[in-house]
Parts: sequence; structure tokens; C-alpha cells
Amino acid sequence: MKKIIFQLLILSGVFLACWFLLSNIDWRNIFGTEEMSENTEKKLGEIYWDYFDSHEQIVKDPYVTKCMDSLLTRICTSNAIDKEKIKLHVVESDEVNAFALPDNHLVVYTGLIKECTDETELCGVMCHEIAHLELNHIMRKLVKEVGLSMLISMAGGNSSSEIIREAVKLLSSSAYDRKLEKEADINAVDYLIKADINPEGFANFLYTLSLDKTSVEKSVSWINTHPDSEERSKYILDKAKNNKIKYLPVLKKDTWDELKEKCYED
Amino acid sequence: MKNEFYYQPGEHEAERASNSYLMSLIAIIAGLPLPIINLLATLIFYMGNRKSTYFVRWHCTQALLSQLSLLFVNSAGFWWTVSVIWGDEQATNKYFAYIISLIVLNLVEFISTIYSAIQVRKGKHVSWWLYGDLTDLFCKQ
Repeated sequence: MKKIIFQLLILSGVFLACWFLLSNIDWRNIFGTEEMSENTEKKLGEIYWDYFDSHEQIVKDPYVTKCMDSLLTRICTSNAIDKEKIKLHVVESDEVNAFALPDNHLVVYTGLIKECTDETELCGVMCHEIAHLELNHIMRKLVKEVGLSMLISMAGGNSSSEIIREAVKLLSSSAYDRKLEKEADINAVDYLIKADINPEGFANFLYTLSLDKTSVEKSVSWINTHPDSEERSKYILDKAKNNKIKYLPVLKKDTWDELKEKCYED
Repeated sequence: MKNEFYYQPGEHEAERASNSYLMSLIAIIAGLPLPIINLLATLIFYMGNRKSTYFVRWHCTQALLSQLSLLFVNSAGFWWTVSVIWGDEQATNKYFAYIISLIVLNLVEFISTIYSAIQVRKGKHVSWWLYGDLTDLFCKQ
């Protein structure tokens, strides 16, 4: 019996050692899966953005884009995120929404800027969406909900506008699963702390909107697609409370007010 | 591998014992990618021969045990692949390494099965490393 157990252990050990040794080889590179997924994501990003560009009103006001760029620069440089890869777009809409699209497109609606009382709230939502991008949640969600074959077909240009419209809707107006949302929240708090932006603003934004009974009437899509906002604001505050650091504003009070005014004008 | 059995099996015994290995081979081809199929086929063949002679029972048991151990490894690989294609999992280097290790293990088992089927058909006894001792433990005269 001892001999059998010993042999069984040897066989299991050989298998595990073989697995461990082979894990050190960059198979993703050898099989080209990395390159293939990057190309697919790039193509999908182009398709999604082309659709958006032709269906939505993009804000081109240099004042708005400069302010948004300042916020993005602070978040990215403090967190060693390559800012150049993130394509930030401000879309004119009363909908309170922000979302990420494949190939690092970050879309913020003017409705969201108008709803935020200060820059910390807006930065919180932006950090949350950047976390989705950095953690590759977008492609994971698309593969899960649309299917790998359909995505490859879309990237190859073999899909109707109806399918693209549905796929865009999936990213802009439906939630990620709870695990991914929490992961994005936790990462967003880390990004905010490193960027010297107070994460309490993010928690307050979630809490205030969750209390707002008129959210549905005001089409607060970001809250509707991100359920359990009260619970989320609690764990964001829990994570943030142990960090006593000095928070530095990105925009001056006047600049923030003017940014909001510009959004109302548009 | 050991090649001694305490009696010389007859022609009919050798054929039936060899068929137990062939059964698992055919089932591997038919059952891909579902790993449970070849185990079920070997189990059915084993049940049909459990009252047969010792030589036939012994080889049916060895074929069954080898399939049983592969079932765990292959099932893990199968469900991992399912979650990579339809679930949240990503095709990481760890995943590819597991699938390659799994293919190597299956290949070794496949070649050993073909070799055993040929040798046993000739009436020669083939006892695999580990599985031979395990079979001795489960298969009594």
C-alpha cells in the first residue's frame, strides 16, 4: 500500500512539476493570443467609437476638454497609467452616465458633470471607469455576454448596425457583475488616494444619488446600472478612512464652476 | 511495465482482455471533448466482464483505473476551457501549460493503451507502473 501511495505521489508530483515548468513559458505570445485579443479590442474600439461619433453630440469646447484632460492627467500620472492610451470623450447629454468602451475609450456625459457637486465626485466616477479599463473588465464582459465568435466576427466587419447598436447599449446601459464592480470601486479608491483626491467625494456621490428618489425620472443611468450604491459608498468610505493624507485640488473652484456652466450652455 | 502472469491465458481470454483497452481507445475518440464518456464506456465493459476469468477481469480493472485518474485531470481541463470560452476566465500561460501537460499525459496513456491492447491480444501480460499495483489491490482471484 505504501508503494502505491508513493507512486501516486510521484505521478502527481511529475504532473504538477510539468505544469509549473510549462507555466513559465510565454504561451500567449507563442500562440499569438495576446496580439489577437489586442487587435480584436482595437477593432471593436474603432467600431464602437464610429457608432458613437455618428449618433451622439461630442463636446469640442476646448475649455471643457482641457479641464477634463487635467483631471485625467492627475489620475494617470499619479497611478503610472499611460495617459496617452486613454481616449477621453465628453458627450453632450442630460443622462447622468459615464462608461468605458474597448480600446481604452472613456466616455463621460455632460449630465454627469452637471450632477457632480465638485471635482472629487467626477474623479471618483472616472477612476471607477478607468479601473474597468485597466482590469480588462470590458472585454471580459463582452466575451461573456456577446460571445467570443460574435466579437471576432464584429471585429472582422461582419456585423449589422443593429448588432453594433445592441453591443454599445450593453456597455453603456448595463451593469458589470457585482464582483467586477467591487473590484473597480476598490481600485478607484486606490487611484484617488494616490492622486491626492479625496475618495469621500466618490462615496458621497453614490450615496446622494441612491437617496435621490427622482433618479429614475432624471435618467441617472450610471446609478441604475450600478446597483447597491449605498452599500458601495460604505465600503468605499471604509477603505478610505485609514488614509490620512493631504488632498490637493486639481481645478480651482472658479474653473470647476465654469466647467459646469459650459456643460449647461452646451 | 511487468510482463508476467501466473498462468497462460487462452485465445478467447486474450481477445476479451485486449478489447477492454480498445474499448477505452474508441471511447476516447468518440467521447472527446467530454472526458466522462470514455470512463463510462470502460465501466460498462468492466461490468460486463466482472464475472469473467481473472486475466480478463484484471485487464478490465487496469483499463478502468487508468481512465478514472484521467477523468479528474481531463474534467478540470474541460471546465477550465468552458470558462475561458464562455465565462470570466482568461487564457493565461498557466491555462496553456495545464492543457499541454494534460495532452502529454493523455498521449502517454493513449500510447500505453495501444501497446497494452496489442500485447494482451498476443496473450502477454502487461502491468503498468502504479496502475498494475493498484489493480492487484482491487482485483482478487
